[in-house]
Amino acid sequence: MIRLEQASKWYGQVIGVNDVTCQIGPGVTALLGMNGAGKSTLMRLVTGQMFPTTGSVTVFGMDPFANPQVFRRLGYCPEIDNFYEHQSGRKFVYTMARFSGFGHRQAQTRAEEVLQQVGMLERSDRKIAGYSKGMRQRIKLAQAMIEDPEVILLDEPLNGLDPVGRREFMDLLAALAAKGKCILVSSHILFEVEQMTRSILLLHRGRLLATGDLKVIRQLLDKYPHRVRIDTSDPREVAARLVSLPYVISVQFEPRGTGIEIQTREPNQFYDYLSTLVLEEGLPIEGYASPDNNLESIFKYLVLT
Amino acid sequence: MMAAFIFRQALSDFVRFRRVVVWALVALALGGIAQIFILVTEGGPSRQDLYSLMSSIITFRLVALAAAIFSMAVVAQEIEQKTIVYLLTRPIPRWMLLTMRTLAATTVVILVAWACALSTSVGIFGSQPNPQLPRDLVALAMGAAAYTSLFVVVSLFINRAMIVCLLFAFGWETLIPNMSGQLYMLSINSYLNALSERPAIKGTDDLFQALGGLLGTNTLTTDTAWAVLIAIIAACLGLGALWFTRNEYIPREDAE
Repeated sequence: MIRLEQASKWYGQVIGVNDVTCQIGPGVTALLGMNGAGKSTLMRLVTGQMFPTTGSVTVFGMDPFANPQVFRRLGYCPEIDNFYEHQSGRKFVYTMARFSGFGHRQAQTRAEEVLQQVGMLERSDRKIAGYSKGMRQRIKLAQAMIEDPEVILLDEPLNGLDPVGRREFMDLLAALAAKGKCILVSSHILFEVEQMTRSILLLHRGRLLATGDLKVIRQLLDKYPHRVRIDTSDPREVAARLVSLPYVISVQFEPRGTGIEIQTREPNQFYDYLSTLVLEEGLPIEGYASPDNNLESIFKYLVLT
Repeated sequence: MMAAFIFRQALSDFVRFRRVVVWALVALALGGIAQIFILVTEGGPSRQDLYSLMSSIITFRLVALAAAIFSMAVVAQEIEQKTIVYLLTRPIPRWMLLTMRTLAATTVVILVAWACALSTSVGIFGSQPNPQLPRDLVALAMGAAAYTSLFVVVSLFINRAMIVCLLFAFGWETLIPNMSGQLYMLSINSYLNALSERPAIKGTDDLFQALGGLLGTNTLTTDTAWAVLIAIIAACLGLGALWFTRNEYIPREDAE
């Protein structure tokens, strides 16, 4: 649905997006990167607000720049927090529906539907100026969904949402993805993205650093040691047993004496052996977890190495 | 249907209560100023001359000022308050969006200009008929369309266009009609004066004449004025639509 071919965007001498080639299809895809990585520029290229300096961007096989045919099938929830503050949420969403080509009655009905979907129907008659950050996010999402678009782009949509709102929002995204919608979500909060999808595009300084499934990307990084944190009441005993393994590189004791952190080059073998130690030899291990099994660590590996 | 909605929506945005109140007060103030003019210049110029003078110094300047303010609301203000993104990601052809919003702004400027002209006329003539008023109303309507479409184009070309537009409205439009030779032809105000067919004003200071742009020799005919003003409006609308369709407009802080 979305295709970028060697797309670059320059702002004078500053590069926003640098030679990005990728395709985005149905399902939820996360666009990750630190502030200034080029996420919003990429979003603007796809939503036809900008055109690439070099290369090409196509959505549904068409150039999206100022293209109403594309906008009929695309919804965009921008990062900015600005609205027509004097309007009510309902009026704003209704106006956007009219701009999308709905007649008066259709627009009213459709506005109510999407306001219901984002949990804002009851509060939609208040002026936007009095809305909380979370309510504003929901209204932005409502206007993006007004046309029931095939492609939805959400720029930092979780900003300002409370935990319940985030959960509801993620459920909504999952439901939309299940209907075959193509959803691109940008974020720099990796933990949240991890809960939404495993399909990522990682941007850094305008370049596409990695793309694909989170697990696959993690496997590509096996040259880096994998860390495992083990909670135990007897750190010395556990460390003594593990340090002798050929694929364990290092063992580090935690200051409070409640566990150890090891580094291994063969995580699969290590986890197998750890189970054996617990089940057959009764080693006092209360739990274990890998801080490397999340996007944060992958992001660090890719960006900082 | 879409075009009509864009027009109505923009119009309702431009005539919000606070804006209407400000311009209503300006119009009322003009009536008051007219009364003061009559008192101060008792025994001086005729009422017709006073009306013409006030028209050329104040009313025809206010139309340019109102045009500068409302034309910024067409695109520049949307960029400034970052709401442009909602408009440009809708399935609306950009030319239609710009044209309808420009027409809405023009409508508001016409209403403002007419209110000011009527108030001035009532202030000077009271309930007596003012033979100059109908021609002034036509000239003001054309001036509103010409200034608004021109300023919208300027706002599409440059950031913070308001300063340039105000300099044009109060500097260029005052100085150029007073210049010798054919330079007056470079001023919209000259064509508006030709359309209003205002008689020569007698018994007033050169300063007032200069402020009204009345020192130069304006030999433009009404037909020429109509043709040139229509050409300016059409050219600005066409150029604006073309430029707006082919260029990027993103929220202000991102553009810097």
